[in-house]
Amino acid sequence: MKVLEIKNVSKIYNESEVQVNAVNNVTLDFNEAEFAAIVGPSGSGKTTLLNLIGGLDMPTSGEIIIDGTDLSSLRSSELIDFRMRNIGFVFQAYNLIPVLTAKENVEFIMSLQKWSKQDRDARTFELLKAVGLFERANSRPTKMSGGQQQRIAVARALASRPKFVLADEPTANLDSKSAATLLEIMEKLNHEEKITFIFSTHDARVVKMAHRVITLEDGKVVTDDVRE
Amino acid sequence: MIWKTAWKNVWRNKVRSLVVITSVTVGIFAGVFSIALMNGLIAQRVNDALDQEISHIQITGKDFRINNDAAIVVENPGNVLPVIASENGVAAFVERTMITGMISSAYKSTGVQIIGIDPQKEKQVFTLNTKLISGTGDYFEKESRFNLALVGEDLAKDLNLVRFSIDSSAIVKLKKDNIPAGVIEKLEPLKGRKFSGEKQFIKEMKSLFASGEAAKYGQLIRKAAWSFKVGARITLTFLDRDNNQVSAVFRITGLYDIANSVYEKSTIFVKSTDLKKLMGMPESSFNQIIIKTSKLEQVDQITGDLAEKLKGTEVISWKKLAPDLAMMTDMVQQFYLVFGVIILAALAFGIINTMLMVVLERTRELGMLTAIGMNKRKVFSMIMLESVFLSLTGGITGMILSYLFVSLSAHTGIDMSQYAQGFGALGYSAIVYPQISAGFFVVVTILIIITGIISSVYPAFKALKLNPIEAIRTE
Repeated sequence: MKVLEIKNVSKIYNESEVQVNAVNNVTLDFNEAEFAAIVGPSGSGKTTLLNLIGGLDMPTSGEIIIDGTDLSSLRSSELIDFRMRNIGFVFQAYNLIPVLTAKENVEFIMSLQKWSKQDRDARTFELLKAVGLFERANSRPTKMSGGQQQRIAVARALASRPKFVLADEPTANLDSKSAATLLEIMEKLNHEEKITFIFSTHDARVVKMAHRVITLEDGKVVTDDVRE
Repeated sequence: MIWKTAWKNVWRNKVRSLVVITSVTVGIFAGVFSIALMNGLIAQRVNDALDQEISHIQITGKDFRINNDAAIVVENPGNVLPVIASENGVAAFVERTMITGMISSAYKSTGVQIIGIDPQKEKQVFTLNTKLISGTGDYFEKESRFNLALVGEDLAKDLNLVRFSIDSSAIVKLKKDNIPAGVIEKLEPLKGRKFSGEKQFIKEMKSLFASGEAAKYGQLIRKAAWSFKVGARITLTFLDRDNNQVSAVFRITGLYDIANSVYEKSTIFVKSTDLKKLMGMPESSFNQIIIKTSKLEQVDQITGDLAEKLKGTEVISWKKLAPDLAMMTDMVQQFYLVFGVIILAALAFGIINTMLMVVLERTRELGMLTAIGMNKRKVFSMIMLESVFLSLTGGITGMILSYLFVSLSAHTGIDMSQYAQGFGALGYSAIVYPQISAGFFVVVTILIIITGIISSVYPAFKALKLNPIEAIRTE
């Protein structure tokens, strides 16, 4: 089942009267429970493509359809609400809320969606267990290692059961051991929760674990390999 | 969760938040306490004036106030008094006879307003009987074959009836007040001397001491040296009803001391029976009726009612009799408003500055929140709540401090005796009892919340303008 369709999407930036084609006529589909990596050299358009998929930026042309909804048809406030319900984000710099505990960070989106406390607690503890940080539920991010923070960020991204999770260089700030642990957790959750993961990366370990690898160069898709 | 997050965000940078909270606390405390102090000062002045000087409503014959002519009496007292007695809201009333004249001691003379009263009835309206200086006599209590007069302390001083001397009884008082022997010894040069003027005594007394000692013991020494000869004689001179000059000797039955020095110096009280006899006025005549109402708020309504019913008289409320007091009561409300606006504006700029820094520092985080689905209304609310929490925490702390200080000082009073003369000249008491109503705290709390909300608007709009893509970008 398709969760995301990208149809002839281009993004052109005007920089000092020079047009930069950051994403150039990209067409891709993503199905439920995919574990896909977008790779490519710096400036190839990975982050721009993720921003477009995540509805943080609008394409110059083309369509991005998530679960049957064209993002360009949504107003700004509808788009924010749509993101909250359908897309999970994992950022390179973790971006947890430092004043909240691990548990509160994970349940933040659920509370925005007005889940009941009972449901929130159940889902939060389920995810904290899944990322191996149940014991640290009441710790603040500042008391945790980078790897632990990123695991909390993954749990937060999955909390409201989005259609897919976008992860921009999720392992870039992690040591190899933490990165390996995180990738194992992400793959396990991808399998268990049947949620699609799409991540941009330079990390060979991530690429190695991905079931599908999309290579971008100069904003264009040059390869799209699906591994069995 | 938004409320919880906002509250926790307030404490993200503890030092900065505490600095802002402390400044809000100090600002609110200073504002509330100053207003309470001023309130106390004005309330005291108004209460003193109403209880001791003018009461709530005065009724006189037409033009009596303009001409101050003792011949202008209240017409038809037999009809007037029952009307007043039957008026709803009138707690008590008393008749007075009034004339302007001269008071003379063996040393000096001065002009005064001589008020003839019924001492017992007067107690129902005024509290002057409680303002008698102990040891100076009584409030027309004892029967006497002499004419009696109640005189203000400041007038007695002007007439050189009050003396200052360091005699044996003064030394006993000083010892009783635990004044060190060394200090008492320094007063030796003043022994045996009698000062008729307070200023001269204080000047000479101060010259004997170091400035610290004079400041510390001066008031007690002045009090101990103060003496008055009970039953001292004065002469009152005035024109009777037929414009003949009348002079009569009176004995001072006692000295009264109120906060209003001007009133003390210009007003003496005698029995109306004595005064009427000297003025040749019939027993049933009087110049003025003074009414005390049950509630101050009823004054305007009762004044209107009586003016309607008692044609041929002048019925005047205290607000017209003492427009300065009425104006002060009204003006002080404007002053509070200006004072409040200045404090709240300072508070607002402090909070705006802090919240702008908060938004600037949390650009990435706020962008991330928008990216993951926190809508603009919620981002706005969160920033607004942080601002309100910040101002409210400081505000409530400031109000608790103010409440404690106001409660404490309302009980003990704030002693400003060193400025007693200046205060007295303006009619104010040197002991100030700050006061503030519970409703004022509610108003201040609401104003602080509103200030917090207004202060958050600009920073919150700045937060809304942040681009969520910033959050995803690596630093």
